[in-house]
Amino acid sequence: MRPRLLFSLLILWVTAVSAQEEPDPRLVRAADEVALAYVITGDAEVDAASEAGLRGLSQVLTARTTVEPGEPIGIDPDRDDLSLLTFLYWPVTGTQAPPSPQAYVRLNHFLRSGGMILFDTRDGDIAGLGGPDGTAALQALAAPLDIPPLAPVPQDHVLTRSFYLLRNFPGRYLDSDVWAEAPPAGAEAAEGAPFRNLNDGVSPVLIGGNAWAEAWAVDDNGLPMFSVGAGFEGERQREMAYRFGVNLIMYVLTGNYKSDQVHVPALLDRLREEEEVVQ
Amino acid sequence: MNGLAFDPLLPWPVIGALAVLALLVALWSVWQGLRGWLWRGAAGLAVAAALAGPALESGIRNKLSDIVILLDDRSASQSLPGRAAQTDAAVDELTRQLTALPDTEIRRITVADDPDGTLTGAALTRALAAEPQGRVAGVIAVTDGLAHDASMVPATAPAPVHVLLTGQETDWDRRLVIEEAPAYGLIGQPVTIRLRIEDQGAVPDSVAQTPARLRIMLDGEETRSLDLPPGVTLDLPVVPKHAGQNVVSISFQAPQADVPELTDRNNAAAVQIQGVRDRLRVLLVSGAPHPGERTWRNLLKSDANVDLIHFTILRPPDKMDAIPVEELSLIAFPTQELFMQRIRDFDLIIFDRYRVRGILLPQYYDNIRRYVEEGGAILVSAGPEMSSVESLNLSPLGAILPARPTGRIYDQPFLPRLTEEGSRHPVTSDLPGAPVEGAERSWGRWLRMSEVIPGPRAQVVLSGADDAPLLLLGRVGKGRVAMLTSDQVWLWGRGFEGGGPQLELLRRIAHWSMKEPDLEEEALLADVGPGLAVTITRRTMDVSAGPVRITHPDGKSEEIPLTEAGPGRFTAHWTAPGPGLYRLAEGEIERVLALGPAAPLEFEETVASGAALGPLAEATRGGVLRLSEGVPALRTVREGRPAHGQGIDRPWIAITPREAASVSGMTHRPLLPGWAWLVLIAGLAISGWLAEGRGRLRGSA
Repeated sequence: MRPRLLFSLLILWVTAVSAQEEPDPRLVRAADEVALAYVITGDAEVDAASEAGLRGLSQVLTARTTVEPGEPIGIDPDRDDLSLLTFLYWPVTGTQAPPSPQAYVRLNHFLRSGGMILFDTRDGDIAGLGGPDGTAALQALAAPLDIPPLAPVPQDHVLTRSFYLLRNFPGRYLDSDVWAEAPPAGAEAAEGAPFRNLNDGVSPVLIGGNAWAEAWAVDDNGLPMFSVGAGFEGERQREMAYRFGVNLIMYVLTGNYKSDQVHVPALLDRLREEEEVVQ
Repeated sequence: MNGLAFDPLLPWPVIGALAVLALLVALWSVWQGLRGWLWRGAAGLAVAAALAGPALESGIRNKLSDIVILLDDRSASQSLPGRAAQTDAAVDELTRQLTALPDTEIRRITVADDPDGTLTGAALTRALAAEPQGRVAGVIAVTDGLAHDASMVPATAPAPVHVLLTGQETDWDRRLVIEEAPAYGLIGQPVTIRLRIEDQGAVPDSVAQTPARLRIMLDGEETRSLDLPPGVTLDLPVVPKHAGQNVVSISFQAPQADVPELTDRNNAAAVQIQGVRDRLRVLLVSGAPHPGERTWRNLLKSDANVDLIHFTILRPPDKMDAIPVEELSLIAFPTQELFMQRIRDFDLIIFDRYRVRGILLPQYYDNIRRYVEEGGAILVSAGPEMSSVESLNLSPLGAILPARPTGRIYDQPFLPRLTEEGSRHPVTSDLPGAPVEGAERSWGRWLRMSEVIPGPRAQVVLSGADDAPLLLLGRVGKGRVAMLTSDQVWLWGRGFEGGGPQLELLRRIAHWSMKEPDLEEEALLADVGPGLAVTITRRTMDVSAGPVRITHPDGKSEEIPLTEAGPGRFTAHWTAPGPGLYRLAEGEIERVLALGPAAPLEFEETVASGAALGPLAEATRGGVLRLSEGVPALRTVREGRPAHGQGIDRPWIAITPREAASVSGMTHRPLLPGWAWLVLIAGLAISGWLAEGRGRLRGSA
């Protein structure tokens, strides 16, 4: 009895070691190809929308920019090593069980070392009306994370100009605020905030409720899977959602690059022209 | 200490009232025409006086001896020829004369060298403070008068201060004065050392106004020589050539004259200028946004010495959409400006996963190659595109890259390891947590790299999968080229499998490319410890290092063997015999080491002078005399009289005996005993009674 037990333990140990030795090929591919990743919530419909949405965004990125992501991958935070990822899309559902404490340790390390999570409460249509929305679920999920103080993305945030010039960040819904790390009150505040100095001032999380994956989602034929708005206005909103997606990935990958001084004069000129056109 | 004291038997008002009553009685008697009024009044006053209890007090006095402070200066400037003997003779003679005086004590104070020079003023202040002011009868200082703390010389003293100067009337000296020298200078930018030649003392006519020939050496190599007349200020431009200590030594030959100058030790000075680099400009060109890009940004933007100019190709020229340009945040890549016009402003150009896609014209690559050959630096951090047709190796830049790709990509996890060369190279040696044979794995693995064939002169310092080169360093012309054949160094930053020292590695690669002296492969370093202890470190890519030859300031040389302290590091501990300029050499590497102050402080000025102590001597009526005119005679004078003068055969100086005494007790004796008072009062009363009585008798007769 005892030798057999020892033997099975040995086998377990060997498999455990080899599992640690050989990284998950999906994640290796994610590191090589900058694949976009989403958190598997267990809600089949939401997960399908996430995958289709990230695939749609990857196609747009490949078509329009130098970033050419591979196939999106689904992540189970309880099992998968996050250190090979850069961007994580996390749709918030009311039914998802919170990850284990070990997973939160990994998630916090991911955030600290330069990764980014986009939390999408997908409730831009109903949020703020007083009815049930995603706030409670988001709070339950995100409470154990080391998230710096957040504030609505200001008009001069680099997210508004990391590839396209944007005024708002629409998804399937239009109007909800997007929250990012609050800008520092002053130099003193920058001293204390751990993310600001570590990662060139790039916010580790973005939180919003515009159901972006649904706006980005395309089926196998390349056709949109969800309706956005109505008519021409709706298509314009979908285009803006893609532009937000492009800006988002550029922000994830290049950080505050577009805040560098070299770009400022040219972009200021362009913004001024645009204002003149608007007026 | 004698005096009258009162010890009243009744309170003062009562005694006062008694005295007033006595006066009133006397006045009443005068008015009544009584002849005894004087006696009556006197008797009343005597009663009052007796009640006041007058007593004589007197102290017991002991005479105290006078103190003479005899200060002798034994600083290094007093070691000039003849001065020590002069000092000894004067001190002996004065001691003999002082001991001959009655009731006189000598306090000997010796002033020795201090790192801050000769601190005569502080020594005088301390000596005066230690003695009772009332007993100091004189201060005699035997010195060359060169105090480095003139502000500490007390303003006055309770007794005459005499300054006896050593040296001769004919003493003279020519010295080099560094008026102003910068401690730091930007490399390649001239800094100014302001200096002049100064003549002091009785300069012979043959030397006065003849210029001195200055020799100026930078790090032991003669750069120029020029003639400079004394008293003229020269602004000497010097260009620091490298980071760290640049030693400028300036010297001139002692002028020829019948009477040689006092010393030639102040004819040279070594000025140390710390060469610092201007802010480094780094151009980072990312071929595409990728996870490792922010790693580079985090590194370069957190480096306070680096100005980062970053460009990322966000949209390649072959991808166009119909979106109007005013909705785009993209700007054109200013290639002409960066790679043709401004390229020499950059200290380093980093190509981060750059693929050749027709954005840069071939002549730009040619220009980058020229830039490197003329002393620039490029760093290629290559992803899989290096093994493709869009490889930088296929551009004209390929000719100077340290390796060429085979086209094969290792798509497997591998552990970066130090090569034999890498363990000695400063870029990779001592990287924290480096894997060692047999130990647990300490660094995280990377997952992808390109296979390359290293060029003949490239140094492979890190190896990856199948021991293929991972990090290569090379030199082209005056410039440097580094190549990292994987783009996955960011996995270390993310902590994959524990991660690794990603920022430190990238920092070292970037700074090695920019010729940071701390990262040079071949270097001879000298750390000056406390005192003159020096730790010499020879860093080399060779497996051995010969002894270091040290040439002393006087031209003597010695050899110090080096012992191996680690891969590529050889050290020795050595203590210099004295301050000065030392030349260290090992193999082809040489450096100059300046120890101690720019010029020895004690020998900055050497001609004896009473300037520092003269005001004090004058304030106390003391004298400043030259010992070359003979040791003066010693006299005593009363306080307030002139305390020096010219005698028949030699000058004299004087001390002022202070008549100080201590009071060791007190006696208290009543002026008159009680019975004497009684007799006095009774006598006065009887006299008054007799005076008046006798008158009445006479009247009745």
